[in-house]
Amino acid sequence: MKNIFLILLSFISFHACAIDDPKTLIRELNKKFNMVSDYTAHVDMKFDIPGVKMNRMSGKVFFKQPDRFRIRTKGIFFLPKQNPMQNMSAMLLDTNSYTSIISGYETVGGHNCAIVNIIPLKNISELILGKFWIDVKNPLVMKTQITTKNNGTIETENIFTSTSHYTLPDEIVIKIETKKIKMSKLMSADLNKKAQDKSKTDALETGTIRLIFSNYKINTKFSDNEFTAADN
Amino acid sequence: MSSAILLENVTKKFKDFTAVDDLSFEVKAGDIYGFLGPNGSGKSTTLRMIMSLIKPDSGAVQLFGQSLRDNRHTIMKKIGCIIEKPDFYSYLSAKENISLFASVHQLNYTKKQYEELFELVGLKGREHDKVKNYSHGMKQRLGLAQTLIHDPELIILDEPNTGLDPQGILDLRHLILSLNKERGKTILFSSHILSEVQAICTNMIVINKGKTVVQGRVDDLLSQENLTVKLEVVDPMACNEKLQDTKWMALLESREEKLFVFKMGKTEIPGMIDYLTVNKIAIERIDYRNQLEDYFLKITHN
Amino acid sequence: MKEFTAVLRNEMLKTIRRPRTFIGFGVITFICLMLQGAFYQDGKEILSTVTGQFENVFTIQGHILNGNLICYILLQTLIVQMPLLVAFVTGDLISGETASGTIRFLLTTPASRGKIVVAKWLSGLIYTFLLLVVLGIFALIISRAIFGVGDLMAMNSEGLTIIRADDINWRWGCAFLIAFLSLGVVASLGTMLSCMMDNSITPIVTIMAVIIIFTIIGLFDMPTFEMIKPFLFTTHMISWRSLFEEPLPAKTILSSCVILFFHIVAFLSISIYYFKRKDITT
Repeated sequence: MKNIFLILLSFISFHACAIDDPKTLIRELNKKFNMVSDYTAHVDMKFDIPGVKMNRMSGKVFFKQPDRFRIRTKGIFFLPKQNPMQNMSAMLLDTNSYTSIISGYETVGGHNCAIVNIIPLKNISELILGKFWIDVKNPLVMKTQITTKNNGTIETENIFTSTSHYTLPDEIVIKIETKKIKMSKLMSADLNKKAQDKSKTDALETGTIRLIFSNYKINTKFSDNEFTAADN
Repeated sequence: MSSAILLENVTKKFKDFTAVDDLSFEVKAGDIYGFLGPNGSGKSTTLRMIMSLIKPDSGAVQLFGQSLRDNRHTIMKKIGCIIEKPDFYSYLSAKENISLFASVHQLNYTKKQYEELFELVGLKGREHDKVKNYSHGMKQRLGLAQTLIHDPELIILDEPNTGLDPQGILDLRHLILSLNKERGKTILFSSHILSEVQAICTNMIVINKGKTVVQGRVDDLLSQENLTVKLEVVDPMACNEKLQDTKWMALLESREEKLFVFKMGKTEIPGMIDYLTVNKIAIERIDYRNQLEDYFLKITHN
Repeated sequence: MKEFTAVLRNEMLKTIRRPRTFIGFGVITFICLMLQGAFYQDGKEILSTVTGQFENVFTIQGHILNGNLICYILLQTLIVQMPLLVAFVTGDLISGETASGTIRFLLTTPASRGKIVVAKWLSGLIYTFLLLVVLGIFALIISRAIFGVGDLMAMNSEGLTIIRADDINWRWGCAFLIAFLSLGVVASLGTMLSCMMDNSITPIVTIMAVIIIFTIIGLFDMPTFEMIKPFLFTTHMISWRSLFEEPLPAKTILSSCVILFFHIVAFLSISIYYFKRKDITT
């Protein structure tokens, strides 16, 4: 009897802590977003984009609320046009522009997550549908799937360890569907290579960009010049 | 006297055309040789074989007693030549052209030496002009400078008078003679002008259709003792009758209708004319040529 | 050796003093400056033809239009023109002298025909090297001065390869060496054809025709052509581009270099063999 009581108590306490209302979840999440007015961090980037070969590289991330974002490096790198690191907080913070519903629950990386669908209220919005896998216990976005009118669908998976109370991930894996980048033989003047099979180049493939963050510095109120200054 | 050039049974064919046909001759060191032949006789091909510009198909070419094939480097140091016409780099000055040649011969000519050389060939003051501004005669003179720059033992000149004015021809004649007499150079001088060759050469080689026609000392070839005398008369029967039992009948080489051809010395001719005149034989024409002229005219006529 | 040095020096003097020599330097300088000006003015638009196909999905961050990319584009453009410039000089090396009669001047010196043809070939190579030096100065150094240094976005038929700026100088060094080897083949082919012909136009036109035909064969992926492509030197002439691939196809590059080297050896050997036996009748 005692055991049954303990089990029942733990079940009740779990549901008391977990949030199952999307607005409450987003509100809790936004509280965390609002705790960070700016941050800088070191970032290591790994790229696996169809038709693009590039080595990993590192740089420094700069972010200021609501959507000022920059990675400063010495070289060339690719980022999704719909940059989740730049837009996610801005998208969720503007609570009047969308309606939200929970479409289900799913475990992501060992976290019990509510799948919160964000549907824009205005047709003029670029967003078609945003799906956010939000940890119901400790509101953090563990996974996103954002579909926009012009830029297709982009998925991210966030991994948190040390800085979870700030919603700042230690690692983001961005997955994006794209056609393989191709170059005509005439343009590339590549005589010693066979041209690619056209059917292969036209097929959609998944590209991955992995960003690993470290050495976060939060709310340091760094200068705005960091967003405009030339790269080193 | 040692041999400067020795050709033994040299043959050269260009596809089906035989330019030089089993040609043999010798050029002795220290003499001036005239190398005669009409256009297309094989003169240039022969000279080019001597200068290793053309490889013979068969036979041997020796210079200074050495095989040209095996000792080209040593031999070429001792030869200066103008083949066909002197061609130079038109975008370079005369002196630059000559210094290119000098450098391959490992010669370090001083400014004074260059001046002397250009004075010798009559180009003093024009040595810094670009060759494109030179006349043909000036190029011939420059060719001579190039020929002489390394003080060669053997000088081969292929039609060097071409393009020269009368004074130039005279200057060249004096230069060739002085090079031979004062410096002991052997000279092989090709031409199709017999008189020019007669004027300066000690020896002659005449070729035609790639073969040697005649060769020997100019003195012998131009001898007045063995002339070809051609006599043309109005009445050949009477002439023949009158000549019977005379000493001239033995000298008769051939007879064709009105034409009688004799071989005799120049001194014999007046006596024969007197005899025929006394015997009322009307002479239409009489002329005589020495052996070389005879060959050369035959060749050129053909 | 002294004699060979003198012959080589003479050949260099002739090359330097000939007006046609400077046409090559002028063309390279003009093309480089013209394209640099075009890229300075409209570079971003020109680049958008490449980046346009993925700009709906990705943004490329960083300094793309930099000196390295301009050099890559210039080298890619000029690798088609430079053989013609090399042919213009090397195709005339011996045939020009044969046509003008100066070959007699040259061959009646004590220097052997072998030495003369090697000296001429070397002078052609030195000219080729100098062309590449001028190209290096204009395409790389001046482009970097104008457009700055940055990662190279190399375009090839398999897509894009980003080469980091701190990993690129050795690649340029090797690329110019391979370009030299490639143009060395053209110079050697020019020398060989020049030995065989008695006028300077035919060797130049022949080299141009060979390069154009081989390049066209290289552009079409037809089974028949695929069989002969590995034997065409033009296929290997662009192997400098492989230096800007990741991972580096070292084996392919090395085999291309060996093939190019053997082409040079073969063309030079044929030149010497033929020239030693050639009758000078002009």
